[in-house]
Amino acid sequence: MASINAVKKAVMLSPTVRTLPSGVPVAPFINLAARAPASAHDHGHGHGSSVRSDLPAKFVGGVSRSPVSGLVSKTLVTAPTTTFFQPRTLHTSAATKEPAVPDFSSYRASNTSSNRAVSYFMVGSLGLLSASVAKSSVTEFLTTMAASADVLALAKVEVDLNTIPEGKNVIIKWRGKPVFIRHRTQAEIEEARSADWKTFRDPQSDEERAKKPEWLVMLGVCTHLGCVPIGEAGDYGGWFCPCHGSHYDISGRARKGPAPLNLEVPVHDFNDAEGKLVIG
Amino acid sequence: MAFANTFYNTIVKRNSVFVSTIFVGAFAFGIGFDMGVTAFYDRWNQGKQWKDIRHKYVEAE
Repeated sequence: MASINAVKKAVMLSPTVRTLPSGVPVAPFINLAARAPASAHDHGHGHGSSVRSDLPAKFVGGVSRSPVSGLVSKTLVTAPTTTFFQPRTLHTSAATKEPAVPDFSSYRASNTSSNRAVSYFMVGSLGLLSASVAKSSVTEFLTTMAASADVLALAKVEVDLNTIPEGKNVIIKWRGKPVFIRHRTQAEIEEARSADWKTFRDPQSDEERAKKPEWLVMLGVCTHLGCVPIGEAGDYGGWFCPCHGSHYDISGRARKGPAPLNLEVPVHDFNDAEGKLVIG
Repeated sequence: MAFANTFYNTIVKRNSVFVSTIFVGAFAFGIGFDMGVTAFYDRWNQGKQWKDIRHKYVEAE
């Protein structure tokens, strides 16, 4: 169809000789694209004598008179029939068969359970790493609020134990509170250990309270209302609180009076090499 | 495959078990990571740290 074909055919067409089953007459040679030619008789249509713009130009074809054939309509097949050119690059003809789907079977996992396990393992690993990152972030942040090493060192008190004779009390100040240090005699140790501590108000054995039996270290604050008890006094040979009459025994345990708890034992350590006690 | 199924059925299937496994694993991982990094640091700086050279100075006193 690339070449220009001049189609000559008679205008005086024979009537249709047959019809399609649908009832449409078969008229194979009618060129429905041919339009009425421009003529001088077009007055009254508002176009004047000029050629209609939507008509094909003269060179495209048209109706002419031939001495041999009479009236002849000549149409160049490939010429545009009008000046409106509408390319129809898409066709609507139906596909002859279904589009073939590629075969993906070689890409499919033959064993989905291992894929599932790997996926969940990856999810779990990421969760594990995130959790440990979050945990260390929080702990590191909280560590910044803790007391630094120099502050902790200042909060300690060293006591030279060699200067405390047996059977004597020493009261020192530690973090603003009095601390009792008692160098107990052997009789006092036996008395403290032999007591039936399970029946006391705040049951606590003497072994729990004194790291070394001859040294008793505890906060000198009455557990009742915070007075400072008096040493070597009271019914049990230990401490006596003058405010409300609480009695503590030689291990500092509440035995009588309103005190609900034993005297508190602070964190302390013995430095045996230098004979010193470190409180804090 | 058997291992994968065992892993899925014992750990992953119940979310409470999965999450608690993650947390316990994170705890263990943190400890192991700290220990590993410390061991590497000590080996990398062998002979330079105070604990490595302390005996040279403290014993002499």
